[in-house]
Amino acid sequence: MGKRPPVVLLSSSSDEDDGGDRRAASRGPSARRARAPAVPALAHAPSGSRKKPRRGSSAERGRRRATGPAPSGYLKTEFDMLSEDFSECLNDLGMPGSIRQTKELWVDKYKPLSLADLAVHKKKVEDVKKWLEEKLKAPKGTFGGWTLVLTGQAGVGKSATVKAIAAELRVEICEWTTPVPTLWTEHMHANSGLRYVSKLEEFENFIEKIRKYSLLSPSSIGSQRNLTIILIDDIPVTSGKASFARLGKCLTDLVQSTQLPTVISLTQYHKSESNDTTLWNSEELESLLQGAGAHKIAFNPVTINSIKKNLIKICKQEGSDLTEELVHQIATSSGGDIRHAIMSLQYYCLDPRRLNSALATTAILPGLKGHDIVRGQDSDGRSSVIASPCGRDETLTLFHALGKFLHNKREPYGDVVEVDSFPVKEKLRRNPLKMDVPEKILSQAHGKVRTVADFLYENVLDFIDDDAIDDAWTVVSYLSEADCLLAGSPIASAHCMVNESYESESMTQLIAASVAARGVLFGNAHVSSSRWHTIRSPGVWQIDWSFRFRKDQILRERYDCSCTSGSRNFCDIVTEFKPFERWIGPLNDMPRSNSLHHKVEDGSILIDRFGTEGSSSEEDEDAIEDW
Amino acid sequence: MAPLVPSSQPWVEKYRPRQVKDVAHQEEVVRVLTNTLQTADLPHMLFYGPPGTGKTTTALAIAYQLYGPELYKSRVLELNASDDRGINVVRTKIKNFAAVAVGTTRKGGYPCPPYKIIILDEADSMTEDAQNALRRTMETYSKVTRFFFICNYISRIIEPLASRCAKFRFKPLSEEVMSNRISHICNEEGLNLDAQALSTLSAISQGDLRRAITYLQSAARLFGSSISSTDLISVSGTIPEDVVKSLLASCKSGEFDVANKEVNNIIADGYPISQLISQFLDVVVNVDDIPDEQKARICKKLGEADKCLVDGADEYLQLLDVASETIRALFDMPQGMVF
Amino acid sequence: MLWVDKYRPKTLDKVTVHDQVAQNLRKLVKMENKTWKIDTGTRTLELELVMLSSAHHVEMNPSDAGFQDRYVVQEVIKEMAKNRPIDAKGKRAFKVLVLNEVDKLSREAQHSLRRTMEKYSASCRLILCCNSSSKVTEAVRSRCLNVRVNAPSEDQIVQVLEFIGKKENLVLPAGFAARIATQSNRNLRRAILFFETCKVQQYPFTSNQVAPPLDWEQYVCEIAADIMKEQSPKRLYAVRQKFYELLVNCIPPQSILKKLLAELLKKLDSDLKHEICHWAAHYEHKMRLGSKAIFHLEAFVAKFMSIYKEFLVSTFG
Repeated sequence: MGKRPPVVLLSSSSDEDDGGDRRAASRGPSARRARAPAVPALAHAPSGSRKKPRRGSSAERGRRRATGPAPSGYLKTEFDMLSEDFSECLNDLGMPGSIRQTKELWVDKYKPLSLADLAVHKKKVEDVKKWLEEKLKAPKGTFGGWTLVLTGQAGVGKSATVKAIAAELRVEICEWTTPVPTLWTEHMHANSGLRYVSKLEEFENFIEKIRKYSLLSPSSIGSQRNLTIILIDDIPVTSGKASFARLGKCLTDLVQSTQLPTVISLTQYHKSESNDTTLWNSEELESLLQGAGAHKIAFNPVTINSIKKNLIKICKQEGSDLTEELVHQIATSSGGDIRHAIMSLQYYCLDPRRLNSALATTAILPGLKGHDIVRGQDSDGRSSVIASPCGRDETLTLFHALGKFLHNKREPYGDVVEVDSFPVKEKLRRNPLKMDVPEKILSQAHGKVRTVADFLYENVLDFIDDDAIDDAWTVVSYLSEADCLLAGSPIASAHCMVNESYESESMTQLIAASVAARGVLFGNAHVSSSRWHTIRSPGVWQIDWSFRFRKDQILRERYDCSCTSGSRNFCDIVTEFKPFERWIGPLNDMPRSNSLHHKVEDGSILIDRFGTEGSSSEEDEDAIEDW
Repeated sequence: MAPLVPSSQPWVEKYRPRQVKDVAHQEEVVRVLTNTLQTADLPHMLFYGPPGTGKTTTALAIAYQLYGPELYKSRVLELNASDDRGINVVRTKIKNFAAVAVGTTRKGGYPCPPYKIIILDEADSMTEDAQNALRRTMETYSKVTRFFFICNYISRIIEPLASRCAKFRFKPLSEEVMSNRISHICNEEGLNLDAQALSTLSAISQGDLRRAITYLQSAARLFGSSISSTDLISVSGTIPEDVVKSLLASCKSGEFDVANKEVNNIIADGYPISQLISQFLDVVVNVDDIPDEQKARICKKLGEADKCLVDGADEYLQLLDVASETIRALFDMPQGMVF
Repeated sequence: MLWVDKYRPKTLDKVTVHDQVAQNLRKLVKMENKTWKIDTGTRTLELELVMLSSAHHVEMNPSDAGFQDRYVVQEVIKEMAKNRPIDAKGKRAFKVLVLNEVDKLSREAQHSLRRTMEKYSASCRLILCCNSSSKVTEAVRSRCLNVRVNAPSEDQIVQVLEFIGKKENLVLPAGFAARIATQSNRNLRRAILFFETCKVQQYPFTSNQVAPPLDWEQYVCEIAADIMKEQSPKRLYAVRQKFYELLVNCIPPQSILKKLLAELLKKLDSDLKHEICHWAAHYEHKMRLGSKAIFHLEAFVAKFMSIYKEFLVSTFG
């Protein structure tokens, strides 16, 4: 029995977003109960958790298709409520510490059911409630202004707030939950007859249905029973401009035409999580929605105190006796993500001994974060500075790691005694680090090495004392070495992003990371007096991007202006022709000589084809995987 | 004026000796080989030595003498570095070729021994894995095949392979042999080469006959039938001696700016810097008025610069670095700054 | 049309600067089209040759294709070899493919170039142009006829400028052409561009008129002045932003580094010069190996600052 819980944890701690969780919750009890006894060990967890959603989804899909727009929402909510009831019943039955307790995620179990339970700031809740009440009372038939956008990082209780309010106001919630996609391969190979529907398409269908539904509903306006809120929780991730535009249009349509109170909750990912700008642009969406006339309420991360309060409450109910200190650690390390906090709590309560074993494992477990904080008490103050703007997971630790490297905290000089075993020049001697070995920190941060190096490079100068230009050089030169390592093969041509051999790559990656980190630590011998610094995201990314853009542009121009500059070298154009353009005038208004011209264009087309082929095919693949 | 009919055939091929005994300057090798040829029973062979000394020629000549033009195609497999010679090629191509058995059918007076010959040119550029794979293949098919390995550096052939072969070392051609050969070709092609040009050609080709012939052919193409020594130099991409000398002279002046200017000019004249560096090395090593320690310091820098150039570093900066280090070496300035 | 293009020699006979080279090539053209390689001296007129031999030619810069360059080379040559033109007499003619910037091709591309070259040598001829032949692999070099074209001397540039002046009916004050020639650093194209700029800026020319410097070069000068003035991490950070600016405008980082070095060398004590030029070479090399040029540029600047500061402290206390 003791082995069962990790299964549950693993499946849900893997960074699912709101929709996923709720989906699991909604069909959770029944589905899980049926399967529970059979799962013997951890090893089965992945397959088990993978199977689950698929089964559920096809059922869901079938249901939705069969019943059409209006009832689908209704049915679904009913189902939700039923299952909640179900679990509530179980709760009431609950004997603390009994066998049953571990069969369910505490996150679901202790879902806030009333406004009082919410950990969210009272005022925000009030805001949302007021807005909803207002809208519910407001006369139908007006367009616009029916949409509320809730923003905030994951796990601050956006959806929970809406649900709790809805429960209080006795309003139905009609919810969009992401269907589990048909896998592309499934579609290709299995003759299951499943039509391949991308997430985006399904979302569009859903929106379409809402709009129709909201047009219909005024007929039944009289009955109080029928009040409905639409909750859109999981906006499909788009990649690529075209699909983003589609999504945008679809949402704008919704905002402008809906006649039911619609709540859209947008999870803000911290920007630094990926430098992939195309993948997720919640900010753009946000401004787009606002532009379309939606009202916005931003949720802040849940305060540590209120997380703590909740955790303690849960502890009491579960009858587990965690120390005050541990609860505090969990609360602080969650970074304002209450769901995450509860998850960690459950994990700890499973087996108190695990706490100790967590000290030994270097695996990425939620426990480690708490552990970090126990060890380096000094990091508390810092982490609150650095961690506040970011989410709970990777970035928190990435920023943590960066902070450690940049601040370069060391033991005071007096403590150094035992170094003499290995004599070093005075100049090269450094006090022992007040932290784990850099490599360990890096592995905990598990960011890409490139990312780490870029961040260090961007920010390190702020932390170097103003007089210590020598240190600056040492640091930058180490970073430059790290860059060389990262670039891969020693005989790098100008285009080194490809053709990296993968055999030894991971090794060089590791080495590069430790060169970068240790270089920064070693080089920065005179840390500037502790001042408050924000950590900037690397400017290099932006620069790289605009460089590529501009290069494309110039190359395209070159082919446009035909004969004369068709043969010019790129760097000649940039360094010589472009500057002169200012005085002589643009290059491309000259007459075209035809003999050469079409030939050159052939070439250009060729190059274009080669240039874009790679990227476009990549994009396609991405799209398939993502949907 | 001799006919300058553009023949598509490179002269290197055209004047390649067809008989082992015609191979120039490698007396011992030739003697041993002619003996073995008579019995037509060959061991595996490994030819090594600097480029252009007749290794490939010898191998081809042996094959030719054994099989004659008719059977040559079916009996001999030639693989050189430009062919893909990964481990898979060794496993499949060589195997397939070797696996087909042949009989002894004498044709047209050639011995035609009952085995095939596989010539692996530039064997030292094969990966170690491929060489290891070969060793197995060699054993398996040793009854029906003979391998000829040709390489510049015997040290790059793994020991197990080398020990299975009869080794032949080819020595660099002497200037005299080379001149003979060149003037022979000049006669055939109707070229006018004065004595100075002839000696220049021997000098720039550094005992590499193939290179000498290639240069000659290029020069003939570009400049017509009378070729001067400057023509040869410009074709070969070698740098006139005085350019190198003046670089050294500018370094000896001790003025950074003077050297910088010289470097700028060299770059603008478009001389290939990697070449320049190797010639600079020769000059520095042979100069009498520089003490050994300084020479060593300069040479070290030259080595570093060469590596950087191979990695694709900027020519101007590298040459400037070399020049400045040379100045510092000549005037015994320390390498790092000390104040 | 720019003067650079307008006065580009259209046939080998009209080539003024490299008449010797041109003559030899003319012989060659009469005889046979063979694979040539033209090593240019740095950045000169090299494309005269293009116009000469046949109408059947294509010119391209395969290195622009980035890491796809290998395929470009292969495909284009294959494509060309397939549709071989037939000239008036019904004889099969060659196609000529001019490849620029061969030295910037990746190794794989150069390797595949050599295979392709051999395979299709019957139907097409290649002219490869590059700035320095050391970056072209030996294998490719040995398959070509190497022709070195050196940069024109200042006198030759003056001649060309005067020739253009005559054609355009301009009056050149004494010493004007020479000044431009000096400014252009033995680069004929730049000289002509400078010349035209002067014309646009102000005509008739005044006796002491100089062409405006290139904007990016001026920017680098500013950077040089900046780092001479103050040496601190803060200044380093400021300089970084300026580098970003240059990089965004696609100025090759190598050029930036070289120009920066040139500027610094102008102002330094000779002991320092050795040191600085060593580090410039060092970091340029690193730049080739690495992928983010800015890291190495900045490392160079930091090193310079560090050395220079030490120098100042030791000299002035």
